[in-house]
Amino acid sequence: MARVALCLAVTGCTRAADAHVPAGAVITLAGSTSIQPFAERWAEEYAGGRIIVQSGGSTAGIKAAHDGTADIGMSSRALQPAETAGLVETVVARDGIAVIVHASNPVRALTYAQLRAIYGGTIRNWRQLGGPDAAITVITREDGSGTRDAFEQFVMGASHEITASALVTAYSGGLRKMVSQDPNAIGYVTFSQLNPQVHALAIDGVTPTEPSIASGAYRLQRPFVFLTRGAPQGAAQQFIAYVLSDAGQRIARAEGLAPVTIQ
Amino acid sequence: MTDKIQVRGLDLFYGTFQGLKQITVSFPARQITALIGPSGCGKSTLLRCLNRMNDLVAGVKITGTVMLDDADIYAPGTDVESLRRRVGMVFQRPNPFPLSVFDNVAYGPRLHGERNPVTLRAIVNDSLQAVGLLGVEGVGLGQPALSLSGEQQQRLCIARALATAPDVLLMDEPCSALDPIATAGIEALMQTLVARYTIVIVTHNMAQAMRASHRTGFMLLGELVEIGATERIFASASDERTRDYLAGTFG
Amino acid sequence: MMMMIARTRTWMATAHLSDAVIERCLQLAAWSAVTTLALITLFILREGMPVVFDRGPMAFLGDVRWAPTRGHFGLLPMIAGTAVVTAGALLIGLPLGLAGAITLAELAPMKARLVLKPMIELLAGIPSVVYGFIGMEILVPFIRERGTLGGPGYSALAASIILGIMVLPTIIGISIDALEAVPKSYRDGSRALGATQWQTITGVVLPAARSGIVAAVILGMGRAVGETMAVIMVAGNAVQFPGSLLAPVRTLTANIALEMSYATGAHARALFATGIVLFIVSLSLNAIAGRVRSGKRASFA
Repeated sequence: MARVALCLAVTGCTRAADAHVPAGAVITLAGSTSIQPFAERWAEEYAGGRIIVQSGGSTAGIKAAHDGTADIGMSSRALQPAETAGLVETVVARDGIAVIVHASNPVRALTYAQLRAIYGGTIRNWRQLGGPDAAITVITREDGSGTRDAFEQFVMGASHEITASALVTAYSGGLRKMVSQDPNAIGYVTFSQLNPQVHALAIDGVTPTEPSIASGAYRLQRPFVFLTRGAPQGAAQQFIAYVLSDAGQRIARAEGLAPVTIQ
Repeated sequence: MTDKIQVRGLDLFYGTFQGLKQITVSFPARQITALIGPSGCGKSTLLRCLNRMNDLVAGVKITGTVMLDDADIYAPGTDVESLRRRVGMVFQRPNPFPLSVFDNVAYGPRLHGERNPVTLRAIVNDSLQAVGLLGVEGVGLGQPALSLSGEQQQRLCIARALATAPDVLLMDEPCSALDPIATAGIEALMQTLVARYTIVIVTHNMAQAMRASHRTGFMLLGELVEIGATERIFASASDERTRDYLAGTFG
Repeated sequence: MMMMIARTRTWMATAHLSDAVIERCLQLAAWSAVTTLALITLFILREGMPVVFDRGPMAFLGDVRWAPTRGHFGLLPMIAGTAVVTAGALLIGLPLGLAGAITLAELAPMKARLVLKPMIELLAGIPSVVYGFIGMEILVPFIRERGTLGGPGYSALAASIILGIMVLPTIIGISIDALEAVPKSYRDGSRALGATQWQTITGVVLPAARSGIVAAVILGMGRAVGETMAVIMVAGNAVQFPGSLLAPVRTLTANIALEMSYATGAHARALFATGIVLFIVSLSLNAIAGRVRSGKRASFA
């Protein structure tokens, strides 16, 4: 806290002479690569000061909030009990996780059970799902990614693991790219990453759309959480308030997230 | 006395520089002919023309004829590899390959297709015998050639050249890297070899030419100034330049 | 006269002083390099060794499951992945590299050499992520569509091909040095015995350059073992033993890069342990290559 105050004081001094940028603090956000692009969008529109957004992953973000190396930690997964100590969580948006296949794939809907079997390695051919006779290329994010965590939580459950023969992407944008190139691939990405080259499957009859995510009907989703050490204060609190405001939430919707405070 | 090699009107150019000027000379069979002259006079260049080793130098142009027995070695279509089998060469610094003694001597015959281990063994033994290395202490067939002494290495190189059953042996200052005792040894070896081979030796050591050769030729600035029986050249050379060189006025 | 002597003495003293200063600075620079290396080594060991001692080396080398968030730290699939991909890279890089080196050192005319050698050195300058990108965009779809045995394209084969190309400059460069170091007298001796150029190359030059070429291959191997970015982008990163060349694999380096930013606690330390393994492998390869090269130098003496 003293550190933030010191930053405020120092930057207040240096910024006083600058007429263009409004006097205010510099705050740092660090964490989930999924949240990062949205945080940067909010930062662009925010007029109350300068925001620096760093990635590093949800786990790194939680740690950063804990250690105080960032003002706000960003997590796209639920915190484990051990991680919550001292932190206050503020949900700022909801992100659906879409299960995608190549645009040419005739399979358009699956059940959670089928999805679990595909990712568990027991269903291996599209033929078993009403599709062409071709081996399924299963693609997942790396172990420790927030998106993967949410997927495992909702789809695989505690007792099933993603098969060891699944391809693992090198970077977060890579999964969509890999699926868009391979007609037999299946993967999962955040809802906002959907594009015309891939098709989002309906799971248990529910297609991921903003309303179905916001209402919770589409279960495969996770909260975007801003973490602060103790209750948000000062510049951090102002930024969070902005994100939760009408303006902030409208931006979230425009970018493909499901807002939390507006309809 | 038949001539083994006859050179007629040989010119050699390195680019625009003329290294050999209208060389005409004969090398009699089974005799030792020495070529002497100051540095840069072209004696090594002439020697290397006799087995077409100058072909390997970029930008070299050679005109004229070199008859080995009755065939011009510079005729188009000549099999140069066969030529070099018949005309062997020993270099100034001993250059045994980083292989065993046996593999060094067997290198030539193997190149030309000899595979039979019995034949190879015989050839190697004969060649080493001819140069006085057979059975010598420290010179085992499996020994790395590079572990031999300087003189032994040069003998080995001579054996290597002999292994291809050549008619002619070209020796380019073969003793200049050796001490006097080793030099005497090589010269004695040459005297035994000349019974079977025609030898042409380039040397900057006049005394060696006098000791070891039957005929001596003096070269200067790319020309063959004169050639004749060694005793005559050294006692009373016809050309003044030869006399000056032999007297040590220059060189 | 006395003043001159005194002035000279002062000048010499100053010269000695600045010499000493320069010497100190150079020593400092050298020592800082050594110190940095020592600190890195100590850091890796400090982070990784505890978990190796904790769970024993068999937890890493004997287990085939890598699921660190669930307590499994088996590195075997990744060791296999690194081995397969490196072997594949050498299978491609060695013949091509040796052929390239022989061509440039022995056969090509000077003009060709002047153009080709810098171009090959340029290959070494291409960032590995660019190689990975080309692999993803061109090589992987090619393998997926052409491979009659199926497979997603992301595979040990793709990684081997990309790595094979990446180690070419290393293998070619050092092999050329080795070939050019062979004394001309060997070549002359061989030609004078009636050998053709090609016979000379196989009979004398290559045997003479053998240790240098072995060193080149070992250094190429070291490069392949340590390569991360390009491999991550084309190998598929599945944690399994490569059943075939067309199956996806994960290498030790990929393992570290994929998970390091997310890992905490024992997981992170396990990755450091992976780093120790890689460190040892790299150091050994470099040491062997060094020994081989100095052995060769001695034989020419």
